[in-house]
Amino acid sequence: MALDHRPARPPGTPDNSGGPGTAGSSRRGPAWLSATGRRRPNGLAVIAGVAALLYAGFILLPLGLSLASSLTDENPLKAESSFVGLDNYQHLFRDGRLLHSLAFTFALAAVVTLAANAVGLGLAVLLDRSSLPYRLMRTLAFLPQVLSGVIVGFIWRSVLTQNGLANALLMDAGIIREPIGWLGTPFMASLSIAIVMAWVLSGFTTVVYLAALQAVPRDLYEAATVDGAGAARRFRSITFPLLAPATTINVTICLITVLKLYDVITVVTGGGPASSTESTALYIVKVAFTQNQFGYSSAVAVLLLVVSTGVSLLVTSLLRRREVSL
Amino acid sequence: MRRKFFIAAGTALALTALTACGGGDDDNASSGGGTTTLTYLTFETPSLTSTFWNGSIAAAEKDVPGVKIKRITAPSTDRDGYAKQLQASGQFPDLLQSISPNNFAPAGLLKPFDDQWVDANFLLPKGNAVGGKVYIPPTNSQVIPLVFYNKKLFAKAGAEVPKTWAEFMTACARLKASGTTPLELGGADPFAASMPLVGLISADVLGKNPAWITQRIAGTTHFADPDVQASVQKYRDLIKAGYFQKNALSVKYDDSIKDFTKGNTAMYPMGSWLLGSLPKENVDDFGTFPWPTDDGSVVIPFSVGGSMAVSAKAPDVTKAIAFAKAWSLNPDNLKLLIETDGAFPMIKGKGLSDYGVTVSKAFTDSYALVTNKNTKVDAIGWVTNDNALPPGLNDEFYSMAQALFTKDDVAGALKSLDEKFDAAAKS
Repeated sequence: MALDHRPARPPGTPDNSGGPGTAGSSRRGPAWLSATGRRRPNGLAVIAGVAALLYAGFILLPLGLSLASSLTDENPLKAESSFVGLDNYQHLFRDGRLLHSLAFTFALAAVVTLAANAVGLGLAVLLDRSSLPYRLMRTLAFLPQVLSGVIVGFIWRSVLTQNGLANALLMDAGIIREPIGWLGTPFMASLSIAIVMAWVLSGFTTVVYLAALQAVPRDLYEAATVDGAGAARRFRSITFPLLAPATTINVTICLITVLKLYDVITVVTGGGPASSTESTALYIVKVAFTQNQFGYSSAVAVLLLVVSTGVSLLVTSLLRRREVSL
Repeated sequence: MRRKFFIAAGTALALTALTACGGGDDDNASSGGGTTTLTYLTFETPSLTSTFWNGSIAAAEKDVPGVKIKRITAPSTDRDGYAKQLQASGQFPDLLQSISPNNFAPAGLLKPFDDQWVDANFLLPKGNAVGGKVYIPPTNSQVIPLVFYNKKLFAKAGAEVPKTWAEFMTACARLKASGTTPLELGGADPFAASMPLVGLISADVLGKNPAWITQRIAGTTHFADPDVQASVQKYRDLIKAGYFQKNALSVKYDDSIKDFTKGNTAMYPMGSWLLGSLPKENVDDFGTFPWPTDDGSVVIPFSVGGSMAVSAKAPDVTKAIAFAKAWSLNPDNLKLLIETDGAFPMIKGKGLSDYGVTVSKAFTDSYALVTNKNTKVDAIGWVTNDNALPPGLNDEFYSMAQALFTKDDVAGALKSLDEKFDAAAKS
């Protein structure tokens, strides 16, 4: 007789062990067991297995390879490389151009996240109607999000260049007398990149805020109106708190998108002038393919991953806490 | 039964996919008919358009039976960077147009051309040699930069073509006083932003010490040396005097050409390839002069190249070299390069008239700078021979050119460039 190793059930809790005649079991046993009690293939398990394989192949394996590469002096043009231990990581903190790129990337992430959320929330409130024109405008608002970063870059480069659309329109309207150097100084180029990215991400934030707005119970507004609350008070006391989960999603996605930004900057400014708009992702590519330092660029990539993960976790945790407190 | 059907269908699909893959491989290897497909990395500029590349490839294909070219276009003018990305992903091209061989040759990725053929065909056979070997046929040369000028704007301002630096500054002052912006700069494109610095350092520093780059590599000269500082200070003087157009760092290279050729600015320091972009209808309104020196001596910053390198790993290296040779010597290609890219031919025993080209007076005057006896030096940052800058340093050089627009710290910028040079040389 086999010993029963199942832990004793606390009194009053159902037994879900699947044994005959116990609560929580069906006559045929759990879904993943066949009638004879043998494990049978499950569609969900197959899907999960494929997903796990893809994740391992496209995320974990490259991550492992990057980690391994970051401990070497790998050069894309040389067949062999040597193990250098933590040398690449020690160099990170003496690399002024890297530190500048990190500072720029984080400043850009902060500004763009704020701007994209503010614009997205504003547009969502304005477009929170169900008639056809509003639905069309929602589609338009989402358009920047579906465009490829390279296309967005080319569009905005043609807008912001010295002889571009922005200057032409402003001059034709008599707003400016001389063209503005949108890409001509470090400050203006950084501002231009921030505007472009806020434009792109506001499409996403608008849709997420709209979805959240439509889930807010209308009777809350009616009750508040009956109690004499004005539009501003209703927004502050009902809408904004109930949008907290959407804010968490939007802030996190905006941060992650900007922290790994490469394509738009490459096309619009190429990281210039004088490397002032060089994001860390762009710097990684330059170190790898211009300076031939694959090993070091992998170390920078690992650093960016760690820092981005840390920031994302921190922000998510803070925003979740805010959701609970609201 | 159904399961068996799906297994059979899956197997059939997999076999079909494998067959398709096999067919693709056959396309890239020597086929039964002896046709080899070679990949060819090119790039496009306002002068070197898709039409030029397709035409020149078709012409060379006719000369080398059994070769079919699959053209790849670099996403920017940074051919080296793109070639490295392709190498890293196992797609190194079989032929690579106008790359810097010193980046790839030490890794054994390139096949050198035989000396006998190079010596027999070119005026400066070792002009772009790396370690004594020629990886790119030196079919033509460029002066980098020439100073292009608008004759009408000079006449309007009462300015004269300068030979010395002092005369150049006087001309700038007169042009500005007449309401004309003296200097054009395509500053949003880093390579174009660096052109005045290339002219200054090549003329002032290399003009007096042609071995300067070799000595910098050896560590016996430095960017922070007083002669380089004095030269770069001139660039700051031009910026501070407001001689470049406003918002110069916002202007893309393509737009800068339009600005200059439309007469919005009076002078444009640019590589001699700009000769191919001068408008035909008023081409005689434009002239060129070499970058002015302190004492008026003529110093020509010079670079030789113009053709393609061959991958040592090409599926058929012999055919790849045959194609490269045919392309390099094809007079029709050279004619197009002369007319559209301002290339100065460097083929032995042939003058301009042998190509049947129609060129402007600005071209023939500029070509005389190449054929005349004068001091020719390596155009810093542009030569692809042993004096090429270490990997990544061109970027830093370009970046410095842009940074000096807003930072008045020449000594600091050059000291930083020295540090980056040393770091790049070590890697």
